[in-house]
Amino acid sequence: MRAWVLALRDLRLEMRGRAGLLSAFSFIAVVLFIMGIAFGPEEANLRRAGPGVLWVALAFAGSMLASRAWAIEVENETLDELLLTPGSREWIYVGKLLFLWLLMLVMGAFLLVLVAAWFYLPLSSWPQLFVTLVLGATGYTVVAAFYAGLTVRLRARDVLLYLLVFPLILPVVLAAVKATLGIVDPVADFAEVVSWWKLLGVFDVVYATLCVLLFPAVIEG
Amino acid sequence: MLRDVQLAVEPGEIVALLGPNGVGKTTLLRVIATLIRPQRGEVRLFGKPAKAIEQERGWIGLVANPPAFYRHLSGEENLSQSLALSSKPVAAAEITAAMERVGLPAGRPVAAYSSGMRKRLALARTMLQKPRLLLLDEPETALDSGGREELVEVIRSAASGGAVVLATHDHDFAGEIASRLVEMEAAR
Repeated sequence: MRAWVLALRDLRLEMRGRAGLLSAFSFIAVVLFIMGIAFGPEEANLRRAGPGVLWVALAFAGSMLASRAWAIEVENETLDELLLTPGSREWIYVGKLLFLWLLMLVMGAFLLVLVAAWFYLPLSSWPQLFVTLVLGATGYTVVAAFYAGLTVRLRARDVLLYLLVFPLILPVVLAAVKATLGIVDPVADFAEVVSWWKLLGVFDVVYATLCVLLFPAVIEG
Repeated sequence: MLRDVQLAVEPGEIVALLGPNGVGKTTLLRVIATLIRPQRGEVRLFGKPAKAIEQERGWIGLVANPPAFYRHLSGEENLSQSLALSSKPVAAAEITAAMERVGLPAGRPVAAYSSGMRKRLALARTMLQKPRLLLLDEPETALDSGGREELVEVIRSAASGGAVVLATHDHDFAGEIASRLVEMEAAR
């Protein structure tokens, strides 16, 4: 319950400040523009590159948002207040995770439409693409929200966040790209897509459990 | 760095920490609030070691200098969110009453508050929180005479239901309000 209150409050703050979302959306637009020029103009090249561009752009923009989720507390100097709330502190992590997850889904859906338009990604399989988006975004946010919390008090937190998160989320990006490629390829075997989904599901469950268990110890400082 | 600190605060006491800049008054408040873990020694709160308190953490009220609030939220939103997250939700009418009592206008974002208004908002939060241990860092700064009177009232009310530790440079204020003065000295 408290985690939802925190997530909704962060969403309200983000809607009023818009600093994080604007940066992330601008970043996505620039990445798509550059990648579109780099791989274009042949349709076959763009179609092949589409899934990779989608997930790389989402991963980088997600890091910006993860950093933002905790920067709200640093800018307002309100982290102490959160730490002084009664009870165990897992809910702080879960609240930030929910906030980031919701933003990632919105951004992912927006990105999917842009990539479909620019990189000829067929949206006819949108239910399968959405499942991949949910599984991939969950795996990504679970790790990013944790490490963004871990580095929140550090001066070089933005640089460190990229260094810490990207090696860990490599399996997520790889599995999500492979699953997306399988979905958009009309001759691909769907069973292969399902196996990538399973890998993403296992990653999500394992990392979510670990992060929830470890968070109270790491945030104590 | 803090060294050789021994301080026991009894219920009903108002303890004022005095001392020059950089002597560690704020750090000591943060150690008491369990926000900094001491490398040596022990902090006990409400009869328990600091690391063993989880539910009791909600009994601690900390007013930093300057008090921390979300700038894009209004005063009322800050209060309601803060209390909801501390599992002490209060009715909107109570929040409005507290805001009126400290003389703050409704609906204005905290970003538009002066530092004195922020202090007043912190007082309103303390009134609603009703902490059993109130920790205040230079609470009297930036307050006008009306705000100062309100502050004295809030501190006395908090001490009647618990204890108060405040850090200040103002000896007159400390002498007026505190039941015990603790002078901190820089380590030699």
